[in-house]
Amino acid sequence: MKNIILTRIDDRLLHGQVMVSWIPLLEINEVIIIDDEYAADEFMSNLIVESSPVNLTVKVLSVKDSAEYILSGSNDSRVLLISRSVESINNLLEMKVPIHKINVGGLGYLEGRKKYYNFIHMSDNEFKLLKEIAGKGISVEVQMLPKDKVTTLK
Amino acid sequence: MTVLSFILISLLYFWCSSTALSFGIGYYTLYRPIISGMLAGLILKDIILGMLAGSIVNILYINFVSTGGSFKGDQCLTAIIAAMATILFKLNPIEGAAFAYPFGYVGIFIWKYRLNINSIFVKKYNERYKNNLNPSISVYNGLLPQILLYFMSTLVIIVSLGIMLLLKDLMLMYHEILKNCLFLVGVCLINISIISVLYNFKNLKIIILFFAILFITLLTDISSYLVMIILFLIISYLSFNDFCYIEKHKKKDFIILNKRDLVYSWFIWMNFSHSCYNYERLQGFAFAHSMKNIINKLYKDNETRKRNINKYTEFFNTEPNIGTPIHGFIISLEEERYIGKDTVDISYIKKGMMGIAAGLGDSFTQVVLAPLFMSIALIFCIDRKFIGIIFPVSLLIAAILYISYSGWMSGYYNGREAMIKRINKIKNNKIKKYFPLIFSGILGVLIGKLIIQNYFLLKQDLINVGIVTIIAFLYTFIRLKSNVKS
Repeated sequence: MKNIILTRIDDRLLHGQVMVSWIPLLEINEVIIIDDEYAADEFMSNLIVESSPVNLTVKVLSVKDSAEYILSGSNDSRVLLISRSVESINNLLEMKVPIHKINVGGLGYLEGRKKYYNFIHMSDNEFKLLKEIAGKGISVEVQMLPKDKVTTLK
Repeated sequence: MTVLSFILISLLYFWCSSTALSFGIGYYTLYRPIISGMLAGLILKDIILGMLAGSIVNILYINFVSTGGSFKGDQCLTAIIAAMATILFKLNPIEGAAFAYPFGYVGIFIWKYRLNINSIFVKKYNERYKNNLNPSISVYNGLLPQILLYFMSTLVIIVSLGIMLLLKDLMLMYHEILKNCLFLVGVCLINISIISVLYNFKNLKIIILFFAILFITLLTDISSYLVMIILFLIISYLSFNDFCYIEKHKKKDFIILNKRDLVYSWFIWMNFSHSCYNYERLQGFAFAHSMKNIINKLYKDNETRKRNINKYTEFFNTEPNIGTPIHGFIISLEEERYIGKDTVDISYIKKGMMGIAAGLGDSFTQVVLAPLFMSIALIFCIDRKFIGIIFPVSLLIAAILYISYSGWMSGYYNGREAMIKRINKIKNNKIKKYFPLIFSGILGVLIGKLIIQNYFLLKQDLINVGIVTIIAFLYTFIRLKSNVKS
């Protein structure tokens, strides 16, 4: 079991807010990007891994591989899970990955999505899924940056 | 204060905080307290006091970073108010900065409000698009949001002036007492700012270096020009490879767009990247705006033009200077698509790259470059060698423009490789690696100069200053510790 410090849903993945605010604050040293599409795309996953700072381990894994990786033996790193979609996180939960808290940090506007909070846009399905996750006793928190106010989804 | 100076001040706040219409470097120059304070001082006919007030505000915001449209406080508004308070209330710059500090939080509301209200333009654009009314992206990304922002900025300045007017009598009545209080608050804020920067480096050696350099400065009162020369030598030594690097463009076998089109598109992006910044699309409209001339050149049919520009209005967010290879690459993909080459999914590429460029970019331009050069400018300003700030500020401008322009062109000619190269360059950049050391050294000189220049004030109030420093230290320490726990 890896030591999961934060699980974040953000469609910009490892972008400025995460790099500059969350990672130093939580002293994260390993990031797992859970994304089937990018994991299958060698160029993209290379780009993501290449772009990470030297003292940060970054892995781009599919949902299945990341579940296996997280559940396999422990190491002493502090892990950040980050994914573009609510669905991937839900699949991860179904694979019995113990996540207790989900941070919803940014979901941009797409066709079919509507606005729920500042910079959080979801389709009806995504919102329903997130509600279901919250119903399972997992705390779902909408918060862009550490200093922002936390809105807990119920 | 005359009506003319009021109008000029509100124009100044609009121009500085808009970060549009200033060629992409406004955020690194006009928006920084030294410069906005200086310009406010110019309007109020005391450029030096304005600059000094601005520089104290800049120390309070020394580690200012804004990511994805969020920040701690509006440093630009704070600087303008500080300059005004210092000049109009006859305060010391430190007192003026302390007076203006709360106004920074008013600025956050404006910014958040702006990010919300700009969504209106997105909605209007979409409505018109759906009704086949052919909306112009330049109007909805450029013109309208800027006009609205101008009115909002004027409103902010009116409100701020109103508050200042209310406080005016109070300030005159209890001038001495309030001056003393503001001075101590200012000292406390400076302390908090510096201590939190040092604390965040989490390295004892760096803190020791800071104090060592601070004492050397206090003992020798080393010349600011000498400090700058030493720093520039260090910086150019560390980034020697990056300076010499000229990207060798691959020759393309087809070219419809010429260099002028690319430069024009870059020019639009630099000027309007945050013009219609909003929570729904962030820089989406700006991206479409920068693609407008490209699309218009490629396609002659109005319907196709409209559809293609609209395609680019989707959500987009990146660091506007480091992320430019994305734009260049997308332009070349659009060109290939026009020719009929079967290209990859443009939207997928764009979205995949933008986060990477933002994560890497923000941690370089905003976290390393801007504080580095601005703090050198601060040393000159605090040391009252005002002409000296020209050097670091123009170097910062040159660096930003170079990064932005070279990325754009190399993205167009080299495609994916441009991004990979850029990533490796920045990742292995030595300035970034040694930044904590260099920066704490600069801060040491800066605080040393600040103490020397304000020595007569500090001496009168030594015990209180000592108490305030201890309070600031304890406060910062407890706050940062509790932050980590939660």
